[in-house]
Amino acid sequence: MTTTTDILTLAAAGGIEPGAGLTMLVPVLTLLGTLLCGLCAAFKVKSKLPAWLSVACLAGSFVAIAATYADLGHQQRLAHGFEWINFSYTGTDGQPVTFKANFAFYIDSLTLLWMLFVTGLATLIALYASEYMSHDQGTGYCRFFAAFNLFVFSMACLVMGDNLLLLYLGWEGVGLCSYLLIGYFYTRPSAVAAAKKAFIMNRIGDLGLALGIMLTFVHFGSVEYAVIFEKARPYIDALKAGHLDEIPLVASFIPILLMIGAFGKSAQLPLYVWLPDAMEGPTPVSALIHAATMVTAGVYLIARTYPLFLLSDVALPIVGWVGASTALLAATIGMAQFDIKRIMAYSTVSQLGYMFAGLAVLSPVGGASHVFTHAFFKAMLFLSCGAVMHGFAGQLDLRKLSGLFRMPGWKVVSVAMLVGCLNLAGFPLITAGYWSKDIILAEAFVNMPGVGWVLLITAGLTAYYTFRVFFRVFMGPTHYEPGDEVHGHDAHGHGDAHGHDHGHAHHDDPHGHGPAVTATAHDPHAGHDFHPHAPGWAINTVLAVLALASFAIVPLMLTGEHHGWAGGMVEHSSAAYHTVGTSGYLEAAHGHGPHDHGHTHGHDHDHDHGQAHGTFLGMDPHKVMYYVSGVVGLLGIAAAFWLHLAGRTSAASSRADALVPAMGPLAGWARGKWFVDEFYDALIVKPLWVISHIFHVIDTLIVDGLVNLVGWVPRALGGVLRPSQSGQLHGYAAGMAGGLALLLIIVLWVTLR
Amino acid sequence: MEGSFGILSAMIFTPLVFAGLVALRPTREAKYVALAGTLLAAALGLVAATQFNWTNGDTHQLASSAPWIPALGVSLSFAADSVSFSLILLTLLLGPICVACSFTAISGRERTYYAWLLVLQAAMTGVFAARDLVVFYICFEFTLIPMFILISLYGSTNRKKAAIKFFLYTFTGSIIALAGLVYVAWTHASASGAWTFDVDTLERAARATLSRSEQAWVLLALMLGFAVKVPLFPFHTWLPLAHTEAPTAGSVVLAGVLLKLGTYGIYRFVLPMCPLAVVDYAPLIATVSIIGILYGGLICWVQRDVKKLVAYSSVAHLGFCILGMFALNSAGLRGSILYMINHGLSTGALFLLIGMMYERYHTRDMRELGGLAAKMPVWATFMVFFTMASVGLPGLNGFVSEFMCLMGVFQASPNWASGACTITGDATPGATFGGVLGPIYAAVAGVGMIVAAMYLLYMVGRVVWGPLVEPHHHHHDADTPSLPPDLTPREIAILIPLAASCLWLGVYPKPALDALRAPVEQTLRIIHKANGTLPAPVLDVPAEFRDAPPAGREEGTR
Repeated sequence: MTTTTDILTLAAAGGIEPGAGLTMLVPVLTLLGTLLCGLCAAFKVKSKLPAWLSVACLAGSFVAIAATYADLGHQQRLAHGFEWINFSYTGTDGQPVTFKANFAFYIDSLTLLWMLFVTGLATLIALYASEYMSHDQGTGYCRFFAAFNLFVFSMACLVMGDNLLLLYLGWEGVGLCSYLLIGYFYTRPSAVAAAKKAFIMNRIGDLGLALGIMLTFVHFGSVEYAVIFEKARPYIDALKAGHLDEIPLVASFIPILLMIGAFGKSAQLPLYVWLPDAMEGPTPVSALIHAATMVTAGVYLIARTYPLFLLSDVALPIVGWVGASTALLAATIGMAQFDIKRIMAYSTVSQLGYMFAGLAVLSPVGGASHVFTHAFFKAMLFLSCGAVMHGFAGQLDLRKLSGLFRMPGWKVVSVAMLVGCLNLAGFPLITAGYWSKDIILAEAFVNMPGVGWVLLITAGLTAYYTFRVFFRVFMGPTHYEPGDEVHGHDAHGHGDAHGHDHGHAHHDDPHGHGPAVTATAHDPHAGHDFHPHAPGWAINTVLAVLALASFAIVPLMLTGEHHGWAGGMVEHSSAAYHTVGTSGYLEAAHGHGPHDHGHTHGHDHDHDHGQAHGTFLGMDPHKVMYYVSGVVGLLGIAAAFWLHLAGRTSAASSRADALVPAMGPLAGWARGKWFVDEFYDALIVKPLWVISHIFHVIDTLIVDGLVNLVGWVPRALGGVLRPSQSGQLHGYAAGMAGGLALLLIIVLWVTLR
Repeated sequence: MEGSFGILSAMIFTPLVFAGLVALRPTREAKYVALAGTLLAAALGLVAATQFNWTNGDTHQLASSAPWIPALGVSLSFAADSVSFSLILLTLLLGPICVACSFTAISGRERTYYAWLLVLQAAMTGVFAARDLVVFYICFEFTLIPMFILISLYGSTNRKKAAIKFFLYTFTGSIIALAGLVYVAWTHASASGAWTFDVDTLERAARATLSRSEQAWVLLALMLGFAVKVPLFPFHTWLPLAHTEAPTAGSVVLAGVLLKLGTYGIYRFVLPMCPLAVVDYAPLIATVSIIGILYGGLICWVQRDVKKLVAYSSVAHLGFCILGMFALNSAGLRGSILYMINHGLSTGALFLLIGMMYERYHTRDMRELGGLAAKMPVWATFMVFFTMASVGLPGLNGFVSEFMCLMGVFQASPNWASGACTITGDATPGATFGGVLGPIYAAVAGVGMIVAAMYLLYMVGRVVWGPLVEPHHHHHDADTPSLPPDLTPREIAILIPLAASCLWLGVYPKPALDALRAPVEQTLRIIHKANGTLPAPVLDVPAEFRDAPPAGREEGTR
């Protein structure tokens, strides 16, 4: 137990361990960025200064993290900042107990993996936003970048915090920034509503997380990871030895509660409905917060506290099935939408489902690898969509855009979009997305075959809807209609223009049998008045860098010990280290590696559905999944090609329209997002609204009415006794004096008795 | 405790002196004299804060005492422990803010207004500083008259009704509390043969002589009185009315300090006087608090008057405060006391902001107002900031106290300590002794966090965000001094100290948490010793608090 004491002494001593000092720069720089942007707003700066300040601060943060990684590699360090919520009290044994949640960082490879892509992407996306948001230069621009920096600060606290409460600070902090940025176009009611919805839905999850943190403290006596993991070690040892019954029932509630928080933040069933609406925010925000980083916080939480998730034998199976169901549900919705940004939003929900399933079936390795690759290609997809939106005056309807690939000035965007789509579709061998998805699929078939099948079907659907977007918007005959923001296309997103766009989509829904409906409503501006606004250098540079990066990480997926570089980062973190040998999955994952601690066949404590080693139609999933997932991806692309590109002559319609009637109500239901929002509204929001009104009426009539009744009696008596009393104030002053007199009389009576 | 140095008395009497000055000087000087008085009191507070020994926060410091009615043992004695002193500092901070926020809002009868505002501040400081029950009660009651005048003379349309209701309701409550306090004094006098109203003596006497059922009666009397003041569901209906009708400074004082007289009274008198009954009634009081949290929160959600919304939010927020207190452990109790301060800061600031908005638009109806961010960006920034403090966003003050209250309640399950939750049969490491609540209470109350986000973001969504909506009759009419669309430097200067305090208590609450440790642990020792739930090795109660005749008598009464 020397490690225990070492870690505890270190944690108690405070200070910054060698090599971890630079990480402290991240919160400092991002807060500085926030402050400077705030000052820019105060001094009414109209230039792009806030953007450059932000890029500089964020790039500095990235360099600090990269240097820390170069220095530390897979080592673990603590860095103590200052004491936050830190108090001592007398415990049950009479000894002092300390609740310690300091502003301190726990740096290991899992932390660094997350921080590398968070700060890296934040820098790139800030650069992109410098151009994208330029229509709003002035206070709006400052506000945007201030919140952007504050977001990265919160994300740093979330990821690097050495305790669950600092994670919670970051957790709610990113929620605040998300709220502020979704509601960036605050004059638009839909944006305000979406922002509010995101915050409240997240709060539901946050309650679970908060209770989980409390239970963790009560059960382990600490909220610091280093201490919790040590205190959980006996339980893990008991699991390894097959004594599941040695784990107290209470402890198994910890992962269940934490999981609720993760489902909220990472938009999983049943709390996913806020994420598609969050697309009301500016596209760089969607790319960074609602695709690449913040929404993966749930995955991070589970990966970070993975040892705790082993304490319950139902926790991980729930995570797996929730993830798989969300993946499938979101994919079916994505197939039926026309707004390309919404499609990407649903694909984010769906891919997050993959990550959760990956966490459940393997260990954090698969989930985290997919987080890493997804961050790149999904940011790229959103930024490409944003470039289209920017250039075509807010147009996002795939029925009104076609053949962008052949238009001048759109090459970089088109290629970036293609690369992103290939990754998302899991195009075999050359894309990082294929490799990370493959890890999850193979392990899913080994450990939870049901989940595996759902994910495999989803993979096909994903490839289809991804390339549906690409083939419709970027390929085929060249045609475009500008969006409603045509008057001064630089000012996209202002006023209610975007709202109109969605208004259209809603109008279509009732008739909703095919995209051809709006083709007749040809925009008079198309063709002559309107000139698409091709992206400038900042947007093109960022897209090019991301496209190259997404290829550059392919070798990273293939190097390293087992599951590539990202997987290695996870395997060397607390997430895997403490769990080695506890389950069949890890055994599979580590079977031929240096972490092989011998085979522990004796038990399979969690989510064993009767097959310790599942197969794919009788074959070893590890061997065949490369081919199977590749083929499924290609099939999806082929279907999209046949239905949406081959022989298509107009932007508005395609061969797929013919299929819609054949699917009966299903297509309409999917387009209506399975009416989950309406369901929640009817089942929860409306009843609560009614109850609140009833409470209000009760409060006024009954609770207050009784008071008035009681008050009426003496007033009536007083009216009888002194009918001509003038000035009520005197009456009450007299009453008070009477009270004091009463006190004195009682006292005197008692004394003189 | 040499009691000659009277800086604490100076803090109480300075506003009184300046109230006299306000009355004597010409009207146009009234506001400046009042500001000078409150600033001087605040400066005294800062000086005292540096002299205060925060580490030994349980000792009574800055004490002064003068005999008043020797025959009855009444003395004019003041002293503060760290709990009292924190609340005094809050009062002193809000003093100048309340004066400064009235500069443009109050026109006409200014001398009366500022004089009573100063008297109110003196009375509130006196409540927190009093170490004599009669002084406490006089100050407690004396807060009513200034507040009654502020509401009934300077309030809005329905002010008469609101003022009368406020006065009658809280007055009736405090008469009941008085009965309880007098009963305690009387039992002591009849046992010892001499009258005293010294708080410490009476507290010791109460827990030494009162039987369990007597304690229950005293608790009920005191709770009834203080619950009206807090206000605890279902005694809250005077509050929305009083808040809505009061002038801005009145609302700020009401939310910031006056409500805390109730919670402070519970902390100061109920817990140490009835330690047995407190444990018996904790589940009931906790349940009522939780009902208040959810019921008050949901009612907020359907308000149309933005000031009424914030007023009802006090019902919900103070539910958390009382809930944390009855966790009867360190986290809960410290969270509860911090909650008193934090609620004063953030809700006080929200009332200020609504007042600033009202001065410009003369309406508080959310159907007539909207999207003010476009017109008043600085105001909107502060509004979002203080809303987030009120929602309990980590990093701001509200979170620390809310989390600690809930955590205290979560810890306060007898099961954690009993060893039923570990394999070894030991208490879990994070257990506390003697609690009677538990995770279920915390989970249900926690739903209040979600509800708080619902109503506060609803408010911000209507008033701050959205398309700009201004009332039709709105124009800068001549009868009020015209204000610029956005905040003036004076208004920003009012808000900055509050914002800075919110940030400080949210980012670095350590000093406050440490300062509250000693008095809270002291109170806990008293309660749990009486109940026999104190773990054996805990250090004994310091001599100054030791129950006068040692253990035997106390044992006898159980």
